[in-house]
Amino acid sequence: MDEQTIMYLGFSAISIFMLFIGGSNFGPFAILVDVIALATVAMILTLNYADFMLFPAVMSMLGIKVMLSKNDTVPKEQNRVVRYTNGLYYATGYLTANIYKYVFHEEAIVQSDDQIMIEAPGKWERIVMNIDFPFKFNVISNPKDIQKYREDLEGRRGFYEFQISKESQRENPSAMTLQELQRKMNVLQARIDRISSGELPLNSIMYIETTAVGVSDKAAADALTMQLSRLETMFSSMDMAVTRVAGREVHTLYKFNYMLYENQLMQKLFDLQS
Amino acid sequence: MALKIQMFLFVVLAGVSIMFAVLTYNVTNNLLAFLFAILSMLFAIIAFSTKYYTYLYMPALKMRKGTIVLNSAEPFILSPSGTSVVVREEDGIYASSFVTIPLYRSGTEMSDAEKLDMAKLFSRVLTVTKNTVKIASQVYIVNKDDYIARIRQKLDESEAKLRSIPAEPGNEKARTRAEGEMTMWHNLLNNVSSSKSEAMVSYAMVSAFGTNDEEASAIAYQRAEEIASGISAILGISAYVAHGDEILDFVQPDRSVPAETVNELIRQKSMQEGL
Repeated sequence: MDEQTIMYLGFSAISIFMLFIGGSNFGPFAILVDVIALATVAMILTLNYADFMLFPAVMSMLGIKVMLSKNDTVPKEQNRVVRYTNGLYYATGYLTANIYKYVFHEEAIVQSDDQIMIEAPGKWERIVMNIDFPFKFNVISNPKDIQKYREDLEGRRGFYEFQISKESQRENPSAMTLQELQRKMNVLQARIDRISSGELPLNSIMYIETTAVGVSDKAAADALTMQLSRLETMFSSMDMAVTRVAGREVHTLYKFNYMLYENQLMQKLFDLQS
Repeated sequence: MALKIQMFLFVVLAGVSIMFAVLTYNVTNNLLAFLFAILSMLFAIIAFSTKYYTYLYMPALKMRKGTIVLNSAEPFILSPSGTSVVVREEDGIYASSFVTIPLYRSGTEMSDAEKLDMAKLFSRVLTVTKNTVKIASQVYIVNKDDYIARIRQKLDESEAKLRSIPAEPGNEKARTRAEGEMTMWHNLLNNVSSSKSEAMVSYAMVSAFGTNDEEASAIAYQRAEEIASGISAILGISAYVAHGDEILDFVQPDRSVPAETVNELIRQKSMQEGL
């Protein structure tokens, strides 16, 4: 949890805490206040961890659409962008698609991952050959602050060194614990070595975008759902987590078609994502 | 700027929430205290939601007919030089340039070692610049709109030609010839539009912030040139900065599904279903 989230949660919790301890002020309503306060806490936590569920539900309930630009609207379900042009409806939807183990080969310490890498191009080509509608696979990468990242890695390495020495000094040191700590330290050391050799540490967002067309909004939405399901099935062969994007992320991913923020703002988005 | 507004809104709303919570201690009426408690919790939720939804609050106040309008203009304009798209945001101007990556190697013709090398090279491509970069592979439907329009024109001409030949004795040969020509164009139209043809293209996108269009475009173009050189060197190909119409293929979703091509497909599908 980052500092900003702690601050937001802290300040929002002050009033709720005050209401909890001031139960005697509410007389017969005391229990009701406690119940509503608990519901408020649950809602705030949902907003923090799973707003992609809450936001579309609220917008759908209120029937509110969001117009992102001329001709581009996000319907109340908040799961697609609809464009009306040339007498046709174009619905664009998004799927998350994290392929870390394929892209960041050097992160993998285990040698058997080579086989996954060898099979990946063939799998990708089979997917492209078998899909007969337009889609886009996007990888957005943003460099991390090297100094901060390195300090963080070195700090963690120091902590593991301390744990190893503490474990070694025990009367009966556990070989398994030592091995596990040593493995973790080797992973960190490998990352530190890569940075020392001039590589940039990166943040990344990966997602799939597809556009469906229809003579009505509903026809386009149905075609889009079908396309997204097919993409989910096809990409599951690459053993990756594929989930349909809904809520405010749809607004952000739509914007990424035309512009990417400068590093500092992008970093904030990555912080929110983590 | 956006961050400052977000923080300001949060502080104000959280302050109001705490104020209502304090008021519950200062009133003797239980019902009034209960109402203040409800208001306090409502403001606590609204305050927390500013973490993600500040950008929706002001437009939501001006909402009409159940639609929050974030932007009623075109999402972008093409820069006069044709090398970037320009987006006007609240805090300034962003321009994005695109690099076409003409990569035609297939995994089927690579050895296992080459496949591993390719994966490593792709990792290196992502670190080619210190700026935020998007790398995308796009499958799109080939635009046959112009081709279909030309065939339609020829079909119309052949129909007009057939109508111009009167059905009289002595014209049989000419009419048969015109009918044959018309059938040929008709068959060709059905053949061309009966199936979609897909193609794939890869590209990189980089953006730059500026105080005016020219400044942002120039920086974005410079960054795109740097990326094109880097990708060309790493992958051993000739990546280049995309211009004009090519950029629109990357950013406009409707360009990946050409209208005329799709209309023709829908028409044929409807005819097949007997609609």
